[in-house]
Amino acid sequence: MSKPIAPSRLLAGACLALIAATAAGAALAEPNITGRWARYPRPASQTPPDPKLAPPRAGEPELKEPYAAAFKELRRKQRESDEKGEPLANGGAECIPGGVPSMMGAIYPIEILQTPKQITVIAEAGSEVRRIYLDEKSPPLEDIPPGYYGASYGAWKGNELTVETLGVREDVRYRDIPHSSKLKIVEHFKLVSPDVLHDTVTFEDPDYLAKPYTVTFAYQRLPDYKMLEYVCENNRSYVDANGVTRMKLDPESKK
Amino acid sequence: MTRLDRLCAGIAAVAALATAAPAGAHHSFAMFDHVNRITLKGTVAKFEWTNPHVFIGLDVPDGAGATKRYTVECASPNVLTRVGWKFNIIKPGDQITVLVNPLKNGDPGGMLETATLADGRTLSDSNPPGGVFQR
Repeated sequence: MSKPIAPSRLLAGACLALIAATAAGAALAEPNITGRWARYPRPASQTPPDPKLAPPRAGEPELKEPYAAAFKELRRKQRESDEKGEPLANGGAECIPGGVPSMMGAIYPIEILQTPKQITVIAEAGSEVRRIYLDEKSPPLEDIPPGYYGASYGAWKGNELTVETLGVREDVRYRDIPHSSKLKIVEHFKLVSPDVLHDTVTFEDPDYLAKPYTVTFAYQRLPDYKMLEYVCENNRSYVDANGVTRMKLDPESKK
Repeated sequence: MTRLDRLCAGIAAVAALATAAPAGAHHSFAMFDHVNRITLKGTVAKFEWTNPHVFIGLDVPDGAGATKRYTVECASPNVLTRVGWKFNIIKPGDQITVLVNPLKNGDPGGMLETATLADGRTLSDSNPPGGVFQR
């Protein structure tokens, strides 16, 4: 003879079932972003991008003084040097990695490898690699050796991945924008359509930025693409004494 | 610059501004003259399928019985692969014709726009119009 089930146990059972369903739902809600991705829209594309999928225009950051004035002057010098045909050097001219978040600009495709505990991003340009650890606490800033990629820790919440990066070296700069060692980079990854991913990147820096600065990188899937190697071994660009990028000629070109 | 060139340059400039600027372009291309392009016909001395750029060393007759070596910078192997090039598509000894954006400082070098091979095929360096280069 079966005993009647107490209402409280019924309720508990229903709660457990609900929790399990929610957990399964949450797990299902995590999109699969593993794969190869190219920047969207393609730089030389002849077809206009879908405005619903294209990233919003970023503009320039609002820096605090005296950094704002120095940055404005740098931009002026860059324009002036370009007009003269003597472009000022940046790290790229010397094959120095872009780091975080520059590598996410994906001048060439990127590959994302998603596992439950880690997301790995490999950029074809320069063979740059970054690792994002999931569901772990980031070490404090003072324990992170400053570097090109810093320390990235993230978590999925529903269909959105949030990643915080600390410890990007002060001379590792996105588009030459200056920052302090306290820079925090917050990224939100989200599929805005089945095959278009947005990485919304916000720079927070209490010392340098008057307000947080946001740029969005958009990518489209490259289903059949195989990543190519990129070893920066034959760099003919060099920086002269005035900080200008020049091209080293073939030794016989001077004849 | 023709009206069409100017229009293309304008469209490309607007397109470039419309999105987050791609960080990490290997270097600025402002050292090259994107308007006064030159055509060079010569013999390939070197073809370097390397990063960050592919280079062609081209010996061009100077009209007085000698040759002058031009250093021609191309895009990267990655970009060129995507527009149909191969690592062995050009070999030393090949006779080719190249359309280049010369170095503004007058040195014998420049950046490739197109290469016409001995078999008549013309390959693009994949540059969008108007001197907005992302490679």
